[in-house]
Amino acid sequence: MRRFLRLLLLGGLLLTTSCMKWEYGLVEEFDTSDSPEGLFVCNEGNFQYGNATLSYYNPAAGEVENEVFYRANGMKLGDVAQSMVIRDGIGWVVVNNSHAIFAIDIRTFKEVGRIVNLTSPRYIHFLSDEKAYVTQIWDNRIFIVNPKRYEITGYIDVPNMTMESGSTEQMVQWGKYLYVNCWSYQNRILKIDTETDQVVDELVVGIQPTSLVMDCNNKLWTITDGGYAGSPYGHEAPSLYRIDAESFAIEKQFKFEFGDAPSEVQLNGTRDKLYWLNDDVWEMDVTADRVPDEPFLAYSGTIYYGLTVSPYNGDVYVADAIDYVQQGKVYRYSKERRLLDSFYVGIIPGAFCWK
Amino acid sequence: MKRLLLIICLLVPYLALAQTDRRRDWVRNGIDIPEVTVYGKRPLKEIGTQQTKFDSVVLKENVALSMAEILTFNSSIFVKSYGRATLSTVAFRGTSASHTQVTWNGMRINNPMLGMTDFSMIPSYFIDDASLLHGTSSVNETGGGMGGAVKLSTKPAQNEGFGVQYIQGVGSFRTSDEFLRLTYGDDHLQISTRAVLSTSPNDFEYRNHDKKENIYDEEMNIIGQYYPIERNRSGSFRDFHLLQEVYYNTGRGDRFGLNGWYINSNRELPMLTTDYGEETDFDNRQREETFRGILSWDHLEEAWKVTTKAGHIHTWMAYDYKRDVGNGTMTHMTRSRSKIDTFYGQAEGEYYIGNEWLFTANLATHQHIVSSEDKNIIRQDGGKAVVGYRKGRAEVSGVLSAKWRPAERFGISATLREEMYGNEWTPLIPALFVDGVLSERGNIIAKASLSRNYRFPTLNDLYFLPGGNPNLRKESGWTYDAGLSFAVGKQGVYSLSGSANWFESYIHDWILWLPTVKGFFSPKNIKDVHAYGIEAQANLSVALSSEVQLSLDGNYSWTPSINKGEPMSEADRSVGKQLPYIPRHSANLTGRLAWRSWSFLYKWCYYSERFTMSSNDLTLTGKLPKYYMSNITLEKEMQFSWADLSLKGTINNLFDEEYLSVLSRPMPGINFEFFIGITPKWGKKK
Repeated sequence: MRRFLRLLLLGGLLLTTSCMKWEYGLVEEFDTSDSPEGLFVCNEGNFQYGNATLSYYNPAAGEVENEVFYRANGMKLGDVAQSMVIRDGIGWVVVNNSHAIFAIDIRTFKEVGRIVNLTSPRYIHFLSDEKAYVTQIWDNRIFIVNPKRYEITGYIDVPNMTMESGSTEQMVQWGKYLYVNCWSYQNRILKIDTETDQVVDELVVGIQPTSLVMDCNNKLWTITDGGYAGSPYGHEAPSLYRIDAESFAIEKQFKFEFGDAPSEVQLNGTRDKLYWLNDDVWEMDVTADRVPDEPFLAYSGTIYYGLTVSPYNGDVYVADAIDYVQQGKVYRYSKERRLLDSFYVGIIPGAFCWK
Repeated sequence: MKRLLLIICLLVPYLALAQTDRRRDWVRNGIDIPEVTVYGKRPLKEIGTQQTKFDSVVLKENVALSMAEILTFNSSIFVKSYGRATLSTVAFRGTSASHTQVTWNGMRINNPMLGMTDFSMIPSYFIDDASLLHGTSSVNETGGGMGGAVKLSTKPAQNEGFGVQYIQGVGSFRTSDEFLRLTYGDDHLQISTRAVLSTSPNDFEYRNHDKKENIYDEEMNIIGQYYPIERNRSGSFRDFHLLQEVYYNTGRGDRFGLNGWYINSNRELPMLTTDYGEETDFDNRQREETFRGILSWDHLEEAWKVTTKAGHIHTWMAYDYKRDVGNGTMTHMTRSRSKIDTFYGQAEGEYYIGNEWLFTANLATHQHIVSSEDKNIIRQDGGKAVVGYRKGRAEVSGVLSAKWRPAERFGISATLREEMYGNEWTPLIPALFVDGVLSERGNIIAKASLSRNYRFPTLNDLYFLPGGNPNLRKESGWTYDAGLSFAVGKQGVYSLSGSANWFESYIHDWILWLPTVKGFFSPKNIKDVHAYGIEAQANLSVALSSEVQLSLDGNYSWTPSINKGEPMSEADRSVGKQLPYIPRHSANLTGRLAWRSWSFLYKWCYYSERFTMSSNDLTLTGKLPKYYMSNITLEKEMQFSWADLSLKGTINNLFDEEYLSVLSRPMPGINFEFFIGITPKWGKKK
């Protein structure tokens, strides 16, 4: 028995070599007050891996800081960073599969609050300091939140939409009306009265409108992806639509080739030029009658995933997600199509937000 | 004592394990230290093969263990676990889970939609014989095992009369495990019924370092933050397994077998560490019912043997993701259903010419019929529709082999396999194996093998909506390995054996699912991968005295798995880098110490840091540090005139390590299990 016990003790001594330590809780101080221009990049990360990150780029200095949310707060941003908007010095980062929206001080990146328990949030749009809408996927409701109290205060039920096929996306406002594109297995633009929080009208466009903006002439622009082969919802050639906000009617339809996958309609700072991705990067005046023959930037062997245009000087930024499991790269081009800079960010850079 | 220390010091670097055929009741009878197998007794069937065998000591160690845990602690292959009682996949030699083929009594059980097998759904108590066929060696068993194959089998209990075994286990997090086995046997008939029921809320506590809780003042300003201690949310499970076996041996060379395995599983999918949803507002659950049945007939003659088998697998899987819409009604966000029916047939023959030649032939067919319903939508015309697919595919695989041992010290074997999936055939798949005894002293044996291999896309790869890509090519590859093994010992005193193997594989057109700009994933033939490395194993058994016996088993593997493909764009930094989630180094060690009716078991495993990015960049968010895991078990056997009793206590994660196997998946800290087992001696001699 003694020998048995001695062996047990020896075994125990061997085992004690196996402890390991993690480093947690280290935070860094940031102060970006001296850079009035700044670009936030929402890096989605891989779905269900919780590795979304936030990057911050200073265009004047040409410097990028990655993982700024983690580094400033000592915690992860979450699972799939979908979008971000800024209002009064606070950045609101929508983290889709974390069911949360984080509010951060855009100078320090420190969290100042959060709205949680959303279904699957995609975008947030502010109506006032105390009221905002949050669109969702896999939910047929648009959530009404009080950003000041970080609370969910109500819902807008979307007609003819089930939870399972629910999809509301980007929002633009014209007067008291808010327009929302419905994307996944949808083909509609909704018109919502922000005073009554009711859907008051809807406009059928093509299959799966992916994004929505409003130009300097109060024209809405949306671009459809046309669905996919074998989809029971249909598969068609995608289109770019111009819609008059007031009459809520389609004014123009620009058709793409069947099988194309356009996305990411964006505007420049003066809202008179339209940009989108369709393998190449395209640019078009908002008054144009036809799509240009030549792209703004030709396809370079990689499929771009994100796009934005600087509201300050019109520089065009495109994001390459590469193989979707490494740090993506953002390329910055001048209006004259000259490559000015490029920098690595996080995994799957999908959305941008200008300071 | 010095001698023992010396032995341990010498052994620890090996960190390896060789699975020899030992007696099941080693606790009661001590470790059986067998005579070292001499080279002349090596079976013809195993010429040049690299395989790891698991005996019943390992497989029956703990009723609560799945095969995933057995493989984690007892083999060189990589087990990727998404959590406790959650998806666990295994991969050989730097390949992926779908490159591992899995057979149960000869029938392939990989999910034909996904290509992989969930080893957390295979209770180790249902497996009587398990072996890993590394790399080339898998070609003898099945095609498509670019990394290797896991061969699982049941076999007759060989009991006389009625037998009963019941084990009750209780553990941390209100975990309950129950195992019952009823057997009956005589000279001809062997019947066995096994049932396992495992349930747990699985709500273990852990400190969540991925998020912070905020403390607000009345103005909703944050005045404090802390890392919360959370419970594993939405992690409950209830798994029931029933295995019925009937074997009839005519005694004149014929044996008939029936195996039926029913699974009923209901598991919640645990919330991520970065999830801020309320647990009570969401229900995220996967349910599965599977029946696997096989009828077999073996006929044995002195020089030849034929086997025929017919089987069926029916799987129904449901995935439901719901949320409370505010009135207590849980409404579906996702409702997926899939049904898989597989019809299986196999015929196999072996023919010996003397002790020098063995010819084998095997033809196996699997017919899959699959129905996948992934999403319910409303069409543009207002009607309802389901996003999904229904497909069938016949898979035929035939193999011929000739094995020749012209001299006792040398053997050579050649195998040719041909496979057909749907309408597509592979080119002939050749495999060559050689082995030879380099030295009788120490039984030093050299082995080498070389093969080509192919893997067809899975049904989801081809047809899943959205994203399935019917234009995918099959993956192809070459692999070879070579190694040395030795075995020394003295019967009843000690045995020491070990092996080390070098392997190298090239896989072309590796299929990966990547996101698209349309918001869904789609598979592509994207990568060329060069995987190589070393697998080493060692086993030591020592009788320290007539009452104290020690055995140490260890494994170590070094598995660089390098992306050799073309860059996706000029920004791509993944070429020449280790594939994500595949550790370069892994090791495990199992020590068993027995004194009279007491035994102590210590298990340890190690995985090096794994990259989560293909570029191998290390970031704060994507960090998966190396980890060590230690489990210990103390067991006491008691024999009474009416029954045998065993009491067992286990401590898992002994040092309460905080660790991750996959990003954002919580893992339990220290936890405890206690088991009581009873085997009545009804009708037995006392």
